[in-house]
This record gives sequence, C-alpha cells and structure tokens, in this order.
Amino acid sequence: MKRKGMKRKLNETLTAYGFLLPNLLGLTLFVFVPMVYAFYVSLHEWNALSPKVFIGFDNYKEMASDKEWWNSVYRTLIFTVIYVPLLFAGSLFFAVMLNTMRQRFVGVARTMFLLPFAITSVISAVIWMFLYDPRNGFINQFFDLVGLPNQQFLGSTDQALLSIIIVIFWINLGYNMMIFLASIKEIPIDYYEAAKIDGATGWKAFWHITFPLLRPTSIFILVVTTIGSFQVFDQIMVMTKGGPANSTMVSVLYIYKQGFEFLNMGYASALAVVLFLIIFVLSLAQLRLYTKKD
Amino acid sequence: MKIWKLFSILSIALILLFQAGCSDSSSSSSGEKDGVVTLKFWDMHTDAEKAFFEDLVKEYNAANEGKVKIEYTAFNQSDYSNTKLPVAFANDEGPDVFMVSPGDFTKYAESNILADLNSYFPEGAKEDFLPASIEAVTYDDKVLALPYELELLGLYYNKKMLADAGVEVPKTWDELKSAAEKLTTSDVAGLVLPTDKAAYLNFIWYPFLWQQGGNVLNEDGTKSTFNSPEVAKALDYWGSFFQDGQAPSKLQYGPWDAGNLGTGSAAMSIVGTWLVPVLEKDYADTEFGLAPIPVPEGGKPATDAGGWKMAVNANSEHVDEAAKFIMWCFAEDKSRPLKWATEVKFAYSPRISVVEEGQAIYDKGLRKVFTEEIYDSAIPEPRFGPEIVDAVGEAMQQVMFGDVSGEDAAEEAHKKIEEALNK
Repeated sequence: MKRKGMKRKLNETLTAYGFLLPNLLGLTLFVFVPMVYAFYVSLHEWNALSPKVFIGFDNYKEMASDKEWWNSVYRTLIFTVIYVPLLFAGSLFFAVMLNTMRQRFVGVARTMFLLPFAITSVISAVIWMFLYDPRNGFINQFFDLVGLPNQQFLGSTDQALLSIIIVIFWINLGYNMMIFLASIKEIPIDYYEAAKIDGATGWKAFWHITFPLLRPTSIFILVVTTIGSFQVFDQIMVMTKGGPANSTMVSVLYIYKQGFEFLNMGYASALAVVLFLIIFVLSLAQLRLYTKKD
Repeated sequence: MKIWKLFSILSIALILLFQAGCSDSSSSSSGEKDGVVTLKFWDMHTDAEKAFFEDLVKEYNAANEGKVKIEYTAFNQSDYSNTKLPVAFANDEGPDVFMVSPGDFTKYAESNILADLNSYFPEGAKEDFLPASIEAVTYDDKVLALPYELELLGLYYNKKMLADAGVEVPKTWDELKSAAEKLTTSDVAGLVLPTDKAAYLNFIWYPFLWQQGGNVLNEDGTKSTFNSPEVAKALDYWGSFFQDGQAPSKLQYGPWDAGNLGTGSAAMSIVGTWLVPVLEKDYADTEFGLAPIPVPEGGKPATDAGGWKMAVNANSEHVDEAAKFIMWCFAEDKSRPLKWATEVKFAYSPRISVVEEGQAIYDKGLRKVFTEEIYDSAIPEPRFGPEIVDAVGEAMQQVMFGDVSGEDAAEEAHKKIEEALNK
C-alpha cells in the first residue's frame, strides 16, 4: 500500500519534470548559456573578427570612467521614472472604466485597446513617425487646427524621449489593462455590496476595495514594466537611433552601438552584464518593498 | 456581440498576416562537392541593383558549369553591415564574396578578413582604375577590395521654386544660406540635409570641411586635426541650417531619397549621383537643376566620391575562385561595369576606359553637370574606423541640436579621435 503511494508520487514528479523539461531546455540553451558566455566574453577584448584576448576586468574598469555609458543609464532611469507610473496609472484607470461599461461595448473597447499590442513594434514605430513628422504629420496638422504652435517632436532634444514614451505607452496600455481587468473581475461583488451598505461608493470603494485587492497584480505589473523599461530598444532604434544629439541614447542602444557598430564585443558584453545586475537588483528591491507590508 | 467577436478575430488575423515577414532560407555552407566549388556571395542591394547582381551570378554560373557555383543572397542594408556580416565572421561562416562600405573597410582590413587582390587583376586592368580609387582600398600595400562605382555629391534644386522666390542658384556659402532662408515656407524645407547620426551624415558634411582645406586626420592618418578652425567653421555653418530652421530636424523620407525633392517638400538638397535616374523616371514633371556644392569665400570646390566595394574573404577556402569572380564582374569586360554605372544606376565607373566608353550617357541631362563641373573635385570617401565616424557624427549632432559651438564640439571630438587612434 505504502509502496504504491510512493510509486505514484514518483510518477507524478516525473510527469511534472517532463512537462517542465522543454521549457527548461529552451531557457538553458537560449538564456542561461548565452548569459554565462556573455560574462566570459566580457573578460576579453574581442572584435568578433579576430581571436579573443583575455584582459581580466579591464572592460569593467573602462566602464567606470565611460561618461557616455553612465549618461545612457541616467537617461534610461528618466525613461523608467516617467514611463512606469504612467503605464501603471493609465492601464489601471482604463481597466476600472471598462469594468463599469455596459457588457456589449466592453468587447469592442477591449479589442481596440489591445490592437496596438498586436502590431509589431517596428511597424508601430513607423506609424508614429508619420504622426510625429514636423512638417506633414497629423499631430502638427491637428495643432494647426486648434491654434497650437507646431512642435519638432522626434527632432527636438527636449521632446524626443517623451515622444517615444508615448508610443511605448500606447503599445502596452491594452495588454496591462487586460491583466488589471481580469483581476478586477475576480473581486467578489459582495464586497462592493457590503461597502454600499456602509455608504462607500465610487472613489472610496475603489480606494478601499479594488486597489488593495489588486495588490498582487499591481506588483506584477510594476516589476515587469520596470524590467521592460530598462530593456527598451526597438522603437528607439527605428525612430531616432539615439538622437538627436544622444537625447534618446538609452543603455541597450549604447550596448548595441558598442557591440555591433564598433565591434567592441567584449566591452559591450561587460555593459550588458552590468545592466543585467542593475535590473536584477532593482527588481529584487521592488519585490521586497512591495511585499514587505503584507 | 457575435459580429464584433468575429470582426476582432479577423482584424487580429489580418494584422498577423501583414506582419509575417519573410524568413531566411537556410543557406548551405560553401565548399566543394563533386569538383564544383560553391561560393557564398552576400549583398545588400535592392530592386534593380539586386537584379543586376542576380543576373551576373546566373551568367557566371552558366559559363562555369561544373566548376564554380555561386550562391547569391541579398540582405537588408542595416542588417547586413551591423548584424549579418560580423556574426557570420565571428562564427567562421562568413561569405566568400561580399560587399564592403568605406565605413567598414578599416574594421575588416585590421582584422585580416580581406584577401589581397593584387595578383588577380588581369593584365593592365589595375592601371585602368583611377589611382585615387585604388588608393582608397589599399592597406599595407595590399589591394583589399575592388571598387566598382564612384558616387559624387551635388546640390539638387527645384528650378521653379528658385525662380518663384527670385533666388539665383547658390555658388557660395552665404548664397546657400540666404537661398535656404528665402525658400523655407511652412510647407517647403529650404534645404534638406541628413539628420540622424550615421556614416551618411558625415559623408554629406565632409565636402564643407575639405573646401577650406581642413581634414579629420593628418596626411598619414596618425593624428587628429579635428581641433582646427576649419572644422569649427564647417560645423558652425552646417549647424546653423538646423538652428535657424532652414533644414528640417526630422525627415519623412531618407535624406538620400528622391522623395524629398520629388514630392515638392524640399527646394534644395545635397544628394548623390544616384538621384539623377530616379528624378528623370519618377518625377519627370518637375524640372530639377544641379550645381556643385557651394564653396566658402576663398575655398576650393570639393565633393565626396563614395561607393561600395567588392571584397573576398581572406579565410575562404577558395580565395582564387572568389577573386576571379569579382575580377570577371568589374575588372575585365567593359560592358558589365558600364551597364552598372549607366543603366542600373548612375555613378562613375572607377575605370577610365569605361567612363570614356559611356561618354554619351555621361553628358545626358543633369549628368553633364556632374561630369563637367563636379567630377574633378572629387575626393574618395574616408575610411575611418567606427569610433572616429561616431566622434565626428557626435560633434555634428551637438552643433545641430545641442546648442554647442563648433569650436567646443570639435574639441570634444578631437579628444575622442585621439583616444581611438591611440588604442
């Protein structure tokens, strides 16, 4: 009897690992091995064309005094500080709004919000380049109509980063909103009814019921969005290539430049390792901070 | 509800359908099979230019049936330079024959990727090439690539717009500046120049520096001369077009594209020879003029001679066959380089005999201006390493968008260039 139970347990364990295996293999092959290899490369001077030369931690020492790199990290931080709260608040707001909408409109609205997410990032970047065009773009033409002064958008050092943030916000809003919406739907209606009896509706109900109960979802979205914002690349690559005058040169773009334009593969790998550490520490800190209060 | 559901599923399916890009077909490795040598040939041309090379390969394969087989693959240009080639070479899977731009030449030459072609030139062929064009691909006394085109720059303009504004064709810097100012309206850009940091940005700017006798490096390329007053002056002049709003800070078409002038959204633009056939073919209704790039007071005319080159992978197992192929393409018969430079696109062949052969075409329409007024002032596009290209580009970005004076931007770049040279 006991033996049979053990056997079943073993079977279950095997099955579980069996199901995990394909994913684990993929992760090992395409994530863990390249990560270790990147660290190995970061200890070398290597231009991808000639053999690697071991130089110890020289790449890391060079990084310490690389002004352009730290500027790019600073710019990434600015991006994060604007983008993450904007996306968080925006998707939560629209999720709550959608939740109060009549059922038959919800499906349409949901689809519309999600559509940008279904477009390849490069294509959406190109669409927005047309909108942002200072001369013939729709946005400036609209500004003309309502009597606002024309703007340079991607051609201005002050506006380029913000313009890009808006595009990425537009892309990801729908997806994050869906996650919030799904969690809101899970909140038992009884809570709201009880609150109603106590006289708490609208804003109060949101603040005391919806928001606290969305806590796990909120943490998930905040952490994932922060990580994503440190990895922003494709839209910037397409729209400004880091310009004008480096005003949108974020960390990943700088790594790309070092790696694939200058062919400093070793140095680029060292930068990537450091960026990984920054993201890792930041995510851990976030998780710590948000879960501590529970 | 149901209809909406169907609609949304359909629309998502449609979007996915449109996005389905073409995937690379797996390329078979080069090597030898049944005595047939297979060579990989990588390219970054598109459209008619790609078709030209496809035809060349077909012709060559047919003529060498049973001996050599060339497999041709074309990539998107930015993927080609920044991803495909470095990754392939890093994995020892580089193509046997490939195209190299002046911007990448030094990088590959330094890494011993390029095979010496000196001994493969047919009898007397090397002497037929313009000395400057061979010099531009010579490294340590080795000829490491085969030039097959020279693309020159000039100032294109819309004749009607200039006439309407009462503007003469500018010949000096001051005239260009005031012409750009007069021609700029809310719908039309006075002068279109490149905006984004890239090798192309520097390429268009170098003539302004050379006109005053300035340069990025000294004669033998060992020291930076970027902190000279000529550099500062050229930077300030270039930046002023952007600061004063006469050159758009963001473009809808590429700065090399005929669309800027063709659609009437620009009155003038500094672009290369490749624009001539496009303007003739796609925008035949509008009259365009062409002039040499305006010179500063006391300066001398100058323009770039750019253009890609063909190269052979030094690590290939079949350097001989690969080198023979590229010589066949552009160094032997006159018909192929002539077709390339006059029918497929408009450029100058680096071969003297080919240009003579095509004299009638080189005097047609706007080409005449290039041939008679611009050709003699051409200087080969510099082949600086990527760090120097970046430093120069950064200085330009600073004067264009960063409110920095030419002198300060030049000083900053000068330090970076010195650092790159000392590496």
